[in-house]
Amino acid sequence: MNTVKVGFKKIDKLLNPETVAVVGASNRKEKVGSIIFEGLRRSRARLYPVNPHEDAISGHKSYAQISDLPVTVDVAIITVRAEKAAEIAEQCARCGIENIIIVAGGFAEAGDQGRALEERLRAIPDQWGSRILGPNSLGVFVPENNFDTIFVEHGDRALADGGGIAFISQSGSVGVEALGLASNTGFPMRAFVGLGNKIDLNELDFLEFFGAEDKTDCIALYIENVEQGRRFLESAREVSLGKPVVALKAGRTPSGVSAVSSHTGKLAGSDRVVSGAFRQYGIQRAFDDEELCDAAKTLSYLPPARGNRVAVVTGAGGFGVMCADYIESDNPRARLRMAELSDRTVARIREKAPAFASCHNPVDLTAGVTNEMYVHTMEVMLEDRSVDILICITFFAPHAVTDKLIDRMADLITGSDKPVLIFTEYGPFTDTYLKEFYKKGMIGFPSLTRTVRAVRFLVERGRIVSALREGP
Amino acid sequence: MSATNTAAVVRRWRSSISIPGKPNEWESKRLLSSVGIAVPRGVFVEAGEAPTAAGDLSVSGTTGHCVVKVCSGEILHKTEQEGVLLDVAAGDLSAAVATLQKRFPSTGILVEEMVSYRGGEIIIGALYDPTFGPAVMVGAGGILTELYKDVTFRLAPCTVKEAHLMLEELTVYPTLKGYRGLPGNADALAEIVSKIAELALQLILEGCQLDINPIVWSRDRWVALDVKAIIAEDHSVRFS
Repeated sequence: MNTVKVGFKKIDKLLNPETVAVVGASNRKEKVGSIIFEGLRRSRARLYPVNPHEDAISGHKSYAQISDLPVTVDVAIITVRAEKAAEIAEQCARCGIENIIIVAGGFAEAGDQGRALEERLRAIPDQWGSRILGPNSLGVFVPENNFDTIFVEHGDRALADGGGIAFISQSGSVGVEALGLASNTGFPMRAFVGLGNKIDLNELDFLEFFGAEDKTDCIALYIENVEQGRRFLESAREVSLGKPVVALKAGRTPSGVSAVSSHTGKLAGSDRVVSGAFRQYGIQRAFDDEELCDAAKTLSYLPPARGNRVAVVTGAGGFGVMCADYIESDNPRARLRMAELSDRTVARIREKAPAFASCHNPVDLTAGVTNEMYVHTMEVMLEDRSVDILICITFFAPHAVTDKLIDRMADLITGSDKPVLIFTEYGPFTDTYLKEFYKKGMIGFPSLTRTVRAVRFLVERGRIVSALREGP
Repeated sequence: MSATNTAAVVRRWRSSISIPGKPNEWESKRLLSSVGIAVPRGVFVEAGEAPTAAGDLSVSGTTGHCVVKVCSGEILHKTEQEGVLLDVAAGDLSAAVATLQKRFPSTGILVEEMVSYRGGEIIIGALYDPTFGPAVMVGAGGILTELYKDVTFRLAPCTVKEAHLMLEELTVYPTLKGYRGLPGNADALAEIVSKIAELALQLILEGCQLDINPIVWSRDRWVALDVKAIIAEDHSVRFS
C-alpha cells in the first residue's frame, strides 16, 4: 500500500512540479527544446534550462549540465536526440531527480542501436528509483496549472479552462489531433499524458492515479498494447465503480494461437478477446478518436442513464423520424428504445403545443415552436417516469426560437438527474453554439448519429455501474 | 467443482492421452464427461482391433443409428478426408468399422449414437490470449461458424451471470429462448460456458486449447457432439 502511495506522490509531482529542468532548451526558436521551454514559461514552475552552449535563455540562467543545477528539480524534460538522451537520463537519475520525461523518438522503434539505448533507460528506474515517461513522449499537459510540455499545436488555449477528463495516449499524434479537434467545441480536460514507448510509466500507473483522485471524473485512453493485461483490467474494474473508463484500443496483435486448425483459434484474433475482456471489466470501448472524445466528454458531463428509454423533442419532423430510426437500430453497445410517453405527459405537452404538433414520441413541435414550448415540453418529458434519456433537436432559427433558449435549457439540463443531449446544426455557426452549450454544462453534437452514439455510452455506463454494484 | 479438483482432473487426463500431446476425440470427450458435460454414448475400437473383436458394437442403450468416425489426434478434418460415416444401422456397424479401418489402418475408430436435435448448433472454446491470458468463447457453431463470426469472448474465470451476458450478445440468442419453437436452454448453456472457463484456467497451464463444435440441446441436456483438444507444440504459454 505504501509503495502505491509513494508512486502516486511521484506522479503528482510529475503533473504539478515546482521546479523543472529543460535539457536542450535553446535560443534557437526552431528547436523542440525551445518550443517546450517557451510553453513552460506560462506555468507556475521555476525553470532551469540546461544547455552547455548558452549562457541564458529567455532571461533564465542556463546550466551546462544537470549536475550543475542549484536544486534537485521535480521534473527533468529531456528534449535532445536519442543518442544523448540515455546518458542525460542517467545523470538526472544520479542527481536524484524523481521524474524524467524523454521527448525524443529513435529508440526501440528505430532498430538495434535504438533498442540498446532503450535498454539503458529501462535500467534507470530500478537502479535509482526515478520514474521515466517516454521515450517518444509528448509529456504532459495540465490546464489547471498551465504545465504543458507538448510542442505541437493541440488546442491548448481552448482547453485551458480544464475539466474532469484524464486523457492518456500511447500515441502523441492521435492524442493531440483528437484534442485539437475536440477543443473546437470545448473539452473538459483534467490532464493529458503522452505515454510514448512506455518503458517505465504506463497506462496502468496513470489509470490508478487518476482513478484515485477526485479531480478526475472520466478516464479516456488511447492504447495500442496493454501492459500487465490482467492487472490493468482489475484496476479498471475498480476505477469503473466510481468513474467511467473509455478506451480506444487500436492495433490487432497476433492471436498467439499456434494451432490454427481450431475454430476457436481462427475466430479469436485477439481483438475480439479485447472487446469481451473490456466489457467484462467495465471498460467502455471506443473505435475511433472522435468516438473516444465524444464519449469521454458526454460521460464526464452527464449522469449515467438509468434505463434505455429515449424521448425525443424536435421542431423539425424529419430529424425526429431519423432520430427514432437510429435509436431503434441494433447496436452491440446498448439496445435503445423509444420511450412511450404517459397519457398525462402527452396531454400536458398538447396544452402548450402548436395545433399541428405531434405530441407522442418523437414529439414534433413543428415550425410553430417557441422557446416557451421547448422548455415546457422538456420539463414535462423529464418528469415522465417512462423516460430515461432526452434528446433535444433544436435549431436556433429566429424569430420564435432564439439564443435565449440556451440559458433556459441549461438551467433545466444541469438540474436534471436524467441525461439530456442536444443535436443542432447551423452551418458556419454550429461550433459556436456547441461551444456555448459546453460552457453552460450541456452536451451537444452536430450530427444525430453522434448524439445517439453518445446516448448508448450513457446507457452502457448505467448498466456497468449497476452490474459492478451487484457483483459477479 | 473446485479449482483444485479441476486441476487434478486435467492433470490426470493429460497423462492418460495415448499419443502424448495429441488427444483424440474419444479422449477429449472423456475430459468433458469428467467435468459433467454430456457427450454421446459410444465405444472406441483400437487400431488394428478386429471389428467383431470389439464385442458388441451397438452402443449400449441405443437401438437407433450410429455414426462411425476415424478417431485420431492427428486427423483434424475427418469429414474432408472421408473419415465419417453417418446414419449407420446397428446391423451394418461391423462393416462400417472395417471400411474405415481399411482407409485409416493405424488409427482407432469411434462408434457413437446419432444424437437427434432440432435446435441451433453452438460452439464453445477455451483459448489463451497473449495479453490477457485464459479466455472462453461461445457463439453460433456448426460448419459455418467462421463465416458468421457470431461469437463472443470473456476471460476466465467467467461467472454464470457473465456467461449469460455473453449469450445475450449473440445474434442466435433467441434460438436459446424458444425462437420458432426451437428447443434450447440458455441457463444450462451459461453454466457450461462458465465450467469451460474454469477448465480453460487449467488447460492453458497445460498448453491446451479446446474447441467444442457443435454442442446441441438433445433430450433435455446439452451434448457435445464433437470436441477437439489441441495442445500447443510450443508449450511456453504464460499468464501475463
